[in-house]
Amino acid sequence: MSDLRLMWRNTRMVVLCAISAALYAAVLVPFKVVPLIPGVTELRPANAIPIVCSFLFGPAAAWGSAIGNMIGDFFGGVSPGDIFGFFANLAYGWIPYKVWELIGRGQSPISRSPLGILKYVIACLAASVLCADLVGWADNVLVIRPFAMLGNVIIFNNMVSALVLSPFILAAVYPRVKKGRMLYTDVMPEVKLKPVGIRAFGFALLIAGEGGAWICGNLLSTGYWAPKFLPAWMIVAPYDKPVAIIVGPFILLAFAGLFMM
Amino acid sequence: MPIYLYIDRGTFVHRLHPTVKVFALFVMFWSVYWVDNPLALAPVGLVMLWIAQLTDSWPNFYRLRWLFAILVFTTTIAWMVFYRRGAVLVDVPIFHVSRLSLVFGIGRGIKLAELLAASVLFLSTTKIEEFTYGLQRMRVPYRVSFAISLSFRLVPLFIDSAVTIVDAQRLRGYDFNEGGPIERVRRYVPVVIPVFMGALRKANNMAMALEARGFGFSHEPTTFIDYPVTGADIIAFAFLIALGTLSFMLYWTGLGGIGPLK
Repeated sequence: MSDLRLMWRNTRMVVLCAISAALYAAVLVPFKVVPLIPGVTELRPANAIPIVCSFLFGPAAAWGSAIGNMIGDFFGGVSPGDIFGFFANLAYGWIPYKVWELIGRGQSPISRSPLGILKYVIACLAASVLCADLVGWADNVLVIRPFAMLGNVIIFNNMVSALVLSPFILAAVYPRVKKGRMLYTDVMPEVKLKPVGIRAFGFALLIAGEGGAWICGNLLSTGYWAPKFLPAWMIVAPYDKPVAIIVGPFILLAFAGLFMM
Repeated sequence: MPIYLYIDRGTFVHRLHPTVKVFALFVMFWSVYWVDNPLALAPVGLVMLWIAQLTDSWPNFYRLRWLFAILVFTTTIAWMVFYRRGAVLVDVPIFHVSRLSLVFGIGRGIKLAELLAASVLFLSTTKIEEFTYGLQRMRVPYRVSFAISLSFRLVPLFIDSAVTIVDAQRLRGYDFNEGGPIERVRRYVPVVIPVFMGALRKANNMAMALEARGFGFSHEPTTFIDYPVTGADIIAFAFLIALGTLSFMLYWTGLGGIGPLK
């Protein structure tokens, strides 16, 4: 977590944060390829930017992703759910490099080995699921849209960009950024990693939390699961209270794990 | 390519203190949130229509007219799938068409449209520097608000270079709409890479320029822009408090609900 705070002391990281945010918004606003749910979300190439920036600029990309999404929202309309969208996108830009620091073991993110690709997919999936969980949870709790609608579309949307677009951009950009000594490890050498054991435990919590939130969110918001321990008056559409009570702690668990990483 | 929604007019709404405008956005969200019934959403809607007329924001509403229509339609349809309450009026597979699901769905659609309208009004009357000033007044650290402000400034620059690259690729016969959805996303690789590299070239110079001008020397830098609090700000503030209270009272008394189930 300290990296997210410390980066604000470094002018170059502040600039990289602004550039990540502007790049995200600049591709987000004009290029919307295929509407997935008209008026709600669309297949957009911009979702590749936070993943690429995360591997390059680390914490600056996390804030950049959050700010970039906020700018994008400003051009298409904001709602109370966008406050959570800010933090969901912060996680979307924060998780890939944190997970890579743990499972990548010094490997380059542009490695083409089967194990390298698998690790890359895990890092992107972990980021996409927590982002989707938080937005889906917030929109369902605020009774804007059901969790099952947004929670799954966001994962699909983010993963398509992360798998189809990001690897190509990374392959072209990463070696140049590394040569120019602009990777976050070069710009902020003062950030030290926590012991591997703590980070591995954090990663386990992250996966358990976001996985649990995703499963429970889907089952509750579609009415397939009616928990017996909740009073009957709560378990009625739009299922905002069960989603708030049951999915919320899982999301907190996921964030606790992320902070430990 | 015009991306900002700001419309330069000299109305009293434009001249309001930035903190009052950010507070107004919050009050609009608050007011819309507490009310479910489409009829009970009318007062806030009317206030927004009045402000739109006053501030001459109609061009922006016209620009986003399809988004408003699609938003209300898809939200109503979505809630007719998930909000399975009340006696069924028409038997349609997957959908639960009842009076309650219809009222609930339309109410949600209007709610989202009003939230969108609030943000359009805010952006039509607020400059970026006013927004960042408002954030600073709300105790957002200077470096964070500076990064937000810089990002807003860089967006048109990057969009311009992206559009130029798209045009150049099209001139060479590159078709961005070829293939299925996944292929169409993949075809943006030759656009994103040059934009990315162009942006990175700027980063180093920008950081040096900032430090040369003393960026980070003080936590509270001086500014040329000053926004004095006027009588209009106080009246607007009182009006917003009244509007927020009215909406909460609609919820509290049950008048803002959608019927006996609320």
